[in-house]
Amino acid sequence: MTMTEPTPPVDPVLQAALPAASAVDSPARNTWRRFLREPLGVAALVVLVSLVFVAVAAPLLADYPTGYGNAVLSPPSGANWFGTDSLGLDVYSEVVWGARQSLLVAAAASVIAIVFGTLLAVLGAYFRRLDAVISVVVDLTLSLPVLPLMILVAALIGPSTITIILVIAAFSWPEVTRVVRSQALAVVRLPYVDAARLMTSSPAWIIRRHVIPAVMPLILVSVVLTSSRAVLSAAGLAFLGLGDPNTWSWGRILYEAQQAGAMSTAWWLPMFPSLAIFLLVLASTLLSTAYNDARNPRRNKS
Amino acid sequence: MISRPRLITAAVAVALLAACAPEAPGTGSGGSTSGNQVSDATLTIATTTDVVNYNPLVGNSRSDYWITNLMYPHLLSIGPDGNKQPELATKWGYDNPTSGYYEIKSGLKWSDGKPLTAKDVAFTLNATKRDKPAGTLTGQLTNMASATAVSDTRVEVKLSAPDSTVIPEVGFWGNIVPQHVFEPAGSVAKFANDGSNGGWVSAGPYVLSDVQRGQSYTMTRVDNYPLVEGGKPKAAKIVYRVFPDVNTEILSLKNGDVDVIANSLPPAQVKGLQGTDGIKVAEVPGLGYAHMTYNMTKPDLAKKEVRQALAQAVDYDAIRKVVLQDQGVSTGSSPIMPVLKDFYDDSIKEYSYDPAGSKKLLQQAGYTADGNGNFPLTFRMIYSLQDPVTTQWATLVKDGAAKAGITIELQGLERNTYLAKTNAGDFDIYAGNFAIMDDPATNMALTYLPKGAINYSYVDDSALNDLITRARVTFDRDKQRPILQKAAKMVRDNVYDNIMYTQNLYVAYRSDWSGFSVKPSELLSIVNPISVASATKSK
Amino acid sequence: MSLLSFVLKRIGRGLLTIWFAVTVTFLMLRLLPGDPAIAIASTNMTPAIRAELLRTYGLDQPLPVQYVKYLGQLLQGNLGISFSQNIPVTDSLMEMLPWTLLLVGASLVVTVLLGIPLGVAAAARAGGVLDRLVQVVAVTGQSLFVPSVGILLLYVFGLQLGWFPIGGAYTDGTYGGAWYVSVISHLVLPSLSLVLVQLGSYVLTVRSTLIEALGEDYVTLAHANGLPGRRVLWKHALRNALLPTTTLIGLQICLYLVGGVILIETVYAYPGIGRGIYDAVIRLDFPLLQGAFLLLAAVVVVVNMITDVVYGLLDPRVKVGS
Repeated sequence: MTMTEPTPPVDPVLQAALPAASAVDSPARNTWRRFLREPLGVAALVVLVSLVFVAVAAPLLADYPTGYGNAVLSPPSGANWFGTDSLGLDVYSEVVWGARQSLLVAAAASVIAIVFGTLLAVLGAYFRRLDAVISVVVDLTLSLPVLPLMILVAALIGPSTITIILVIAAFSWPEVTRVVRSQALAVVRLPYVDAARLMTSSPAWIIRRHVIPAVMPLILVSVVLTSSRAVLSAAGLAFLGLGDPNTWSWGRILYEAQQAGAMSTAWWLPMFPSLAIFLLVLASTLLSTAYNDARNPRRNKS
Repeated sequence: MISRPRLITAAVAVALLAACAPEAPGTGSGGSTSGNQVSDATLTIATTTDVVNYNPLVGNSRSDYWITNLMYPHLLSIGPDGNKQPELATKWGYDNPTSGYYEIKSGLKWSDGKPLTAKDVAFTLNATKRDKPAGTLTGQLTNMASATAVSDTRVEVKLSAPDSTVIPEVGFWGNIVPQHVFEPAGSVAKFANDGSNGGWVSAGPYVLSDVQRGQSYTMTRVDNYPLVEGGKPKAAKIVYRVFPDVNTEILSLKNGDVDVIANSLPPAQVKGLQGTDGIKVAEVPGLGYAHMTYNMTKPDLAKKEVRQALAQAVDYDAIRKVVLQDQGVSTGSSPIMPVLKDFYDDSIKEYSYDPAGSKKLLQQAGYTADGNGNFPLTFRMIYSLQDPVTTQWATLVKDGAAKAGITIELQGLERNTYLAKTNAGDFDIYAGNFAIMDDPATNMALTYLPKGAINYSYVDDSALNDLITRARVTFDRDKQRPILQKAAKMVRDNVYDNIMYTQNLYVAYRSDWSGFSVKPSELLSIVNPISVASATKSK
Repeated sequence: MSLLSFVLKRIGRGLLTIWFAVTVTFLMLRLLPGDPAIAIASTNMTPAIRAELLRTYGLDQPLPVQYVKYLGQLLQGNLGISFSQNIPVTDSLMEMLPWTLLLVGASLVVTVLLGIPLGVAAAARAGGVLDRLVQVVAVTGQSLFVPSVGILLLYVFGLQLGWFPIGGAYTDGTYGGAWYVSVISHLVLPSLSLVLVQLGSYVLTVRSTLIEALGEDYVTLAHANGLPGRRVLWKHALRNALLPTTTLIGLQICLYLVGGVILIETVYAYPGIGRGIYDAVIRLDFPLLQGAFLLLAAVVVVVNMITDVVYGLLDPRVKVGS
């Protein structure tokens, strides 16, 4: 599994992204064709794209929920497809606009985590001395319970969008580093990299030209998975009262439902944001699995 | 086939569990039934806050108050009209402007058999004055010099300055503690009173017998409790259970796992619970108010027109209708609440919601709006995130101000930061609420006199100061009233304080329980000692 | 590498991890914005108590000195005084720990009992319909938002069906045998919630490692030796797949002990450490928050150590070095 002693094993989906020892990187078009043959994967892609579309096109789909409404906590109806919340605002609008914030936080946090994590992984793979330090820090961080740490930091700094993004990113990068690192190490030892070293003395060029493309599929899968987990973390933090109270997010809808004592009496209030989170995470994971299967057709068959 | 690794892991887990397994409690007895009432029933009360400490002189969370109130009596209680009523004390008043007295019931005993006399009262007051525990009573004793028990039932209180508020307020707020338990501990400010010395000593109706921190607090009946009808509390046991999540609390009430929810219901849940079978909802008149204060040390807010403009940019009706679900009542923007029937002045009218009028006021004050209608006025408003109702109307306030061209930046804070910033004056606008403002003279002194403990607007108006100080030394209610009403009008007209509403609270309980007596404010509601001692369960 | 040096090395790593956790929390509370004194002294405390605490932890001194004092206090088992409860943090945590262990232990047992057969079933017919179904169900579990699930379960099984009590760890007023029964009935729904969240990842790992094992040389060899397929699957592949799954049990506790447990204990009013963390956050009770985190980290490390040692005991290859 990892280069160091047995540590928490990798997420199965992420691990499956590692190419099998004897596999040759398939050309992109073959991968895409194989992917299209998997109904689950295609469905997941459609769902994911729809969610992103909803987030991007929010202004076109719903009015920004502000102020108050007259019908408080009313069930779904023609006027309010997802019902109203404790201030009478339309839950559908909240979910649509919440998609923006939730996806933004997820994407930002995972991009930061991935950029940082990949950088460290690649540098560690290339420069052996750095590697020792980095892998120790990664393993140590991975051994710690993450949500309480996030809670501690968020409680100290105070809730805000930036805090949430940074906190989630800070505790998501080690997993990325560990996975990317093993692949990067494999690439760095390949003969053509040695050859490249003869041609140029610039590590940056080698890294950019050879190592990064080799780990790219891993990074892609990482983006999707880390983002979806970030959504769950952000929602969890928001539910505990550590989310940003000034912007609409799925976590905030759930938090307000909890505060209003409405979670069991107004089922639509917790259900729709939970459903949105559920769809996002489910689709992300299925998409990643399908992508891996398409890239390495022999991987998951006996 | 059980493999070794699973066995080992299982064994380790079992060993760990066995080593620190929670212990089962000892033996006990259940309840019996007779007639159509369950006698010796157990009343289970749910609360969302955990108990922090057991020393009533160092009050802290709501649950602390509820539980210690069942053990340590108050001299005075309060009635539905806001007037003080006898509890431990049967008579109270002043012999002269600097000397007051309480006469207490005779023949009372603590649960360990020792008599409850005026000496305990005197001790409580003197020790609090001396040790200054961090609690409300300490603040009430500022003008008290000393207390003396001149007999078993009479306490005389010497004041260092004439003050008509000391006797009623001290009587209402102070819990009387047993001298023989608290005195040996040294300072009452540091005494934890955690029952580690053989349990608790209570004057009834109940005494704490078992504590499972964070879970449940069990109290057993003190058989001799003269203050309740019949002299003996009806329920044999009271159990307070802690639920961090109000949603689970409500489900638990519906399920019958708890009998009462002590914390007031979120406004949006009241109607639903009123219509639920097996549940009754009691209305508890609020004794406090929600308000915003404008920090007058800031140059813009020092201008009366700006404050008036802000006050007219709030849609009070919408807040009461939507956020409070019509459970809030306007006070006419006056710091004297409608429930205090003796003092309330209904000629004081609430600020009207008129954003256009606000704009005019600002222009009169010399501010010019830009192309979008926005004035160069931005204010930072702080509120506590732990207060869901305030959190909700804060956004409405911001929206209303925007209509008047004023920008409000909301800064929701967790409780300790909120308290710290409040005390440091680190805000432009403060939004919060006081649970109990039972005596206008005391409250105004604290709220509007310079250096008053809760003067969050930093107002210092000499005419107002004059009125308030005079009210405090006026012992005749009829003479005091017009002074206070004039002061209230001054506060309202100058927007020294923006009182938004007083909220009527609702508490839910299972309908097989009855006999509760409601008192104003969440601290008393249906969980005040007499009410709890009178509650019975039908079969 | 001999067994002894392996075990010692593992313990060394465990201690290093705990030290790391300790240092991280120390630095966090003193370097992040805000008054560093909030790490140990609440503004509600009397000045005398506050001054004493500040002296014990040396908050007026340079960082390295503080660190040494802090470590010293920890080694003495002094985690400070909880602001909100006014008792030593250690006492508070010790009251909460058994309940969390009970909750996690119960969920773990159920997860393993359900997870292994499901993982095997999926691996045996990898690529087939059953496999696809199991994968989707597994991923579904991981995608759920815990508090919503918790309230739903309470509503359906607690309120509507009335099968289980709502909230708390046991029923007050029960004694002896009845008490144990009430503990179990209060345990069912919270651990069910935890199982729902944990099961997916567990099943997937069992499945993927079993598939890998099924492709290993010695399985092919066993087949070539003429052993019937079923027995190969169960006896050899499962034995090998159990190695990573044991490690995974450790992982389960690490990852989900806290993420899910905090939310579950809050919703179910279950008096464990997760709930303690929630309460500590509400009140910004930093000593308690810090202590709870350290305790959890220690539990995680200890469990990991134990499972790794077990792993080492079982797999001869590990002892010879990776």
